[in-house]
Amino acid sequence: MFSLNNNLELRRVTITSLLTCIYLPSIVTVISYKGLLYSVGNASSVYILVLIFVAELLKSFYLNSGNECQVKKKSRNRASDIMKSIVFLFGVVFCFFIAIILFGAPVLEQHDGTLLLSSLLTLLTVFPLIAHTGVESAMQLLFGVKTFSRDTIIAMLVNNALMTVCGAWLGAVVIPLDWNTPWQQWPIPCYLGAVGGYLLSNVLTVTKVTLLSASNKYPALNFFVNVINRLHISK
Amino acid sequence: MLSWIQHRWTALWLLFAAYGSLFLFMYGFFPLKYHSGKISHMDDLPNFINSVSIDGHEVYNSGENSVILMVIDGLRYDFATEEYMPFTGQLLKNKSACIYVSVAEPPTVTMPRIKSPERKKEKAQWRRTINFWRDIFAMMTGSVSTFADVALNFGAPAVRGDSVLRAAKSRGRRAVMYGDDTWLRLFPGMWNDSDGTTSFFVTDYTEVDNNVTRHLDKVLAPDENKKPSFDFLVLHYLGLDHIGHLEGARSAKIKPKLLEMDDVVKKIYTGMRTWHRSGILIICGDHGMRDAGGHGGASAAEVLVPLVVVKSDNFVCPHPSGPGPTVAQVDVAPTIAWLLNAPIPGDSTGRILPSLMPSDVQQHLYLLHVLAAHNAQQSPPADTEFFQQFKRAEVQFAHFLTTGQQSAAKIAKEFYDESLEDLAKYHTETTTDFDLFAIGIAIFMLYILTGALLCVTLFSFQQDPQRNTSVVRQHRSQASTIVAFAVIFFLVSTTLLISCFISETKSRFCSFNPFWTICFIAASLGIAAAYFIIKAAIERTKDLSALRELNAIDYLLIIGTLFHAWSFFGTSFIEEEHMTWYFFWNTLMFFVLVRTIVVVVMYFTKKWSGATEFQDKLDLENRMSSVGVSIVPQWVLLIALHRYLRTMNQTGDRWLFLPDTADWLNAPENSFYLEAHLVIGTVLTLGVCLWNVRHMNNFMQIHSALTVAATGCVFLYRIATSALQTRYTFLKSYDPVNIVDVFWGILTFQVLFELAIYVGMFAQCGLKPKFAYTKPKAKSEDHFYDEMDEPWNIEEVKLSLATSLSHIMYNDLMLIIVLLMRPHNVIMVPSVYFTCVLTSKCLDHKLLDSRSRRTEVVDVMSQALVHLWIGVLFYFYQGNSNSLASVDLGSGYVGLREYSEFPVALRMGLHAYAGPALAGARLFCALAAAPAASWTQYLQSVWRVINIFALQRVYQLVVYCVIATIFRHHLFVWTVFSPKLLYDFVATVFSIQALSTIGNIILITHMTSWLARLVTYKTTL
Repeated sequence: MFSLNNNLELRRVTITSLLTCIYLPSIVTVISYKGLLYSVGNASSVYILVLIFVAELLKSFYLNSGNECQVKKKSRNRASDIMKSIVFLFGVVFCFFIAIILFGAPVLEQHDGTLLLSSLLTLLTVFPLIAHTGVESAMQLLFGVKTFSRDTIIAMLVNNALMTVCGAWLGAVVIPLDWNTPWQQWPIPCYLGAVGGYLLSNVLTVTKVTLLSASNKYPALNFFVNVINRLHISK
Repeated sequence: MLSWIQHRWTALWLLFAAYGSLFLFMYGFFPLKYHSGKISHMDDLPNFINSVSIDGHEVYNSGENSVILMVIDGLRYDFATEEYMPFTGQLLKNKSACIYVSVAEPPTVTMPRIKSPERKKEKAQWRRTINFWRDIFAMMTGSVSTFADVALNFGAPAVRGDSVLRAAKSRGRRAVMYGDDTWLRLFPGMWNDSDGTTSFFVTDYTEVDNNVTRHLDKVLAPDENKKPSFDFLVLHYLGLDHIGHLEGARSAKIKPKLLEMDDVVKKIYTGMRTWHRSGILIICGDHGMRDAGGHGGASAAEVLVPLVVVKSDNFVCPHPSGPGPTVAQVDVAPTIAWLLNAPIPGDSTGRILPSLMPSDVQQHLYLLHVLAAHNAQQSPPADTEFFQQFKRAEVQFAHFLTTGQQSAAKIAKEFYDESLEDLAKYHTETTTDFDLFAIGIAIFMLYILTGALLCVTLFSFQQDPQRNTSVVRQHRSQASTIVAFAVIFFLVSTTLLISCFISETKSRFCSFNPFWTICFIAASLGIAAAYFIIKAAIERTKDLSALRELNAIDYLLIIGTLFHAWSFFGTSFIEEEHMTWYFFWNTLMFFVLVRTIVVVVMYFTKKWSGATEFQDKLDLENRMSSVGVSIVPQWVLLIALHRYLRTMNQTGDRWLFLPDTADWLNAPENSFYLEAHLVIGTVLTLGVCLWNVRHMNNFMQIHSALTVAATGCVFLYRIATSALQTRYTFLKSYDPVNIVDVFWGILTFQVLFELAIYVGMFAQCGLKPKFAYTKPKAKSEDHFYDEMDEPWNIEEVKLSLATSLSHIMYNDLMLIIVLLMRPHNVIMVPSVYFTCVLTSKCLDHKLLDSRSRRTEVVDVMSQALVHLWIGVLFYFYQGNSNSLASVDLGSGYVGLREYSEFPVALRMGLHAYAGPALAGARLFCALAAAPAASWTQYLQSVWRVINIFALQRVYQLVVYCVIATIFRHHLFVWTVFSPKLLYDFVATVFSIQALSTIGNIILITHMTSWLARLVTYKTTL
């Protein structure tokens, strides 16, 4: 789905993905060195979310910076737009919260952990989409009403979202195993799984762009491009 | 052979064959040792040694002894030292006691975690019983128990065969027991006095031991003749094990506890010294413990336990000081039996502890002779070396008896010892050896059968198999087919025969006695038939284009089913199998949720934005019409329902102890909610049944009335067993057994009535059917009565009969299961129905995929798989697991006055497999009642579903058999792998049963129509 037609977009996609590949591992490394990796389920770890929030916001500024016309059009009712987005985001967090509980999170206790996980999922999936396109088109994109086949950036964002959810979902696999390790506590595997999925998706994007540009010289690499294209779940 | 793959019930026959091979596998896998159950007598003692007479009773007599068996739970070898137990250490040092290394049997069931709530007490108790079973069984009967012993003694853990206690009782010895009450349950009625303490509360490690020790002073005190009041005393101390479970073997509490035990030893020893008869104290642990606490493995710390023998008078330990020789746990039984002057238990294979052997040469030799003769009796082959050795020893013994030569005695003793040694080795070999040849043949057969089933299934997935095959039909004569089959059969059996001889196996499979020859021929027949089926199917499967319609959810279903079988490579995936299924099911629900939301949102946006193309809109309307917009909230509600049901019963092994909703409901203060669950579940089931009645002939009146009456019986039963409170107390006095009898009567009547209607409808041609209160099946009747010249619409009537019979079966099944279920689980029955209905709606390919053309094949496949999943899901929701402890024994006795094997097993099976049964029944109902289905279409989808079911079953079997074979020396082979194998076995039996029921329905349909045609022809002529 990626193509080399639009070089500017492709460069942006690559740079944002690279940035993600740098900042997320550094956050994880720092907290694991501080010995706080297993406390991501506690309320005290909100600062991670804040960090991710800021980073995603900066990334979206960068992604949007080129489209002058879009910015002009939007600046008129910027305030109401932001309000709308915030309300929508809270709605999404709440939906995630309910969904996670329905799919097996503890009902009566550990609400803070579940809430943190749902905020993380929102931050990594819906938030970049909204920041890039606005609430209405984000909704349309999410429900597949609008297609995004032409837009490299949106394709990347949707892919990221899907991989994040998959990561969180697969993270739950380790919880019931009898290894008796401290990280098998709810919601640590899902939390780290989501982060891992997001990271993996970005790594794949970077790899793919690299391979794409390299395959101009070496056509043999096209095979790997196809493989990665397959890996990216497309609707 | 063509007809075979086209035959509708090929899958069932293949499943039967798989069942046979599973039998073969289990025969090879469970080292069956038959406990003869022989009861020993004093008269069995030989009075002639090689025709030299000897007074057996006189020589055998060990004098007057009192034996005290002190079992200290969790006593491992390094605890019995001077450091921990100073008095015992002292005794060992000055040779007035002997120590042995005893090897305990690795336990079968691990201890449940602590702090289990009250309701799980029974379950946990049961697990613990099996845990003790092997150790105590070995010590008291002198024979090693096998898994089959545990499994066959299911539900009644009492030891049925001979034991030391029985032998002692028959000789009038007084046995007394203080300690763990498992002993009382294993040997009921054998005790003159007892005080059982329940071992359940692990947190208590003082009281359990005080309960034992408080009796000591009284029981040790000699009476006026300076004799103790007992002959055999068992003391079982649990405190040490409890500390180990709580804090580990390095706990600070261990030392004081061992000192306490040491004091008990001292007390007993001093007590014994005051008697005028010799007292023998045997101190042993039944298993050790890990450093981290707990036990359940086969590591040295867990299996090696000390066995200390103390005798009150004239005793010097013959062994050099040190760790002492190794003995087996089974040696305790003959030792105690001899000391009590009782015959050696019938199944014993042990020896007498060497330090207790009498110094008198003649008695010593005689005892060796008795033991060797006794043990040799249990091993059939008479031409073995140890048997020869025994014969030689006998000759030497006779020589000694006549001449009194000491050298002969010495030789005899050596020979006896050697032969006993070899005998013991032989016995352990025969109990632990797997019949690998049989296992291999069984796995190979299962593999071939899986291949055959796969081919048949794929063949059935062709859009129109009949048409395709008619093109390739080749003219082969009947005779040539038979010859071909004979050739293949000959080849297969020859190959088997050759492999028998090449591998030089000792397997019974190759023993060629009449029974096994039949098995041998059956196996080669099965393989040959499977070969032909595979060949025919591969040749004729041309068109699998139907499988191109598979969507993401279908792939999830297929991959999930395939993966699940392989997940058993991890033991925790077997113990926590429910987690796998919950995860799969959640993933499925998530997929479906996303897709339904997408469909509904697309529908709305296109509708509101005034759909651009008319065609598009029509298509959308079509897709939405079957489910409506409410599908999304319904689906969310279903997810919530499943979230709730998942909390109902904790199952598996690791989190079994967590409190669950069922515990909360069963608490006395919440009885209102429990009753609410019961009533809601039953009423909803009634509603579902009444809704299903519409598919039956003559619906509004009779069937509804019968259903309501049956539900009334269920309510009456609940009131009579006081699961339900009522204001009308007279209802309580009804006899539950009578109520259940009436219930059975109603259900039987319903089936017969329905059949009678269908036959009678034809019989009274022209007349109004006798039972037609409303006009039953107006359409089919009109055809009949008015247009006799027209071709009969038998097919339509057959389909409606099959539909109504399937629904009656489903209704009856639901009602029976409601009757059998525990009150809090009744809610599962309607939940299965709602889940199935909603899921089949949502999995419809017409709804989910934008452009699919011919979807009936993939529809049938996804329906079949998803119903399998739902069945397994509810199986675990209900609280079942892969451990034998989770079988609900209570449900077996509903409506029965006394135990009789078959009905109890049937009830227990139906109760355990309620989920799969209900989901399967509902699937077959849906197939029959599918809109716009014709009789041939119905038969075809039944064919496909049966193929899929059989394939899934056999596939799981073969994978699991391979896994079990690979892990046959695994630590958990008894705890985890073998129970799962038993569960798989039962599941196979029930799948066969279920599929044959569907076969029976179709058979009855044919028979009824044949009968009706016969009657109608007669009347019209």
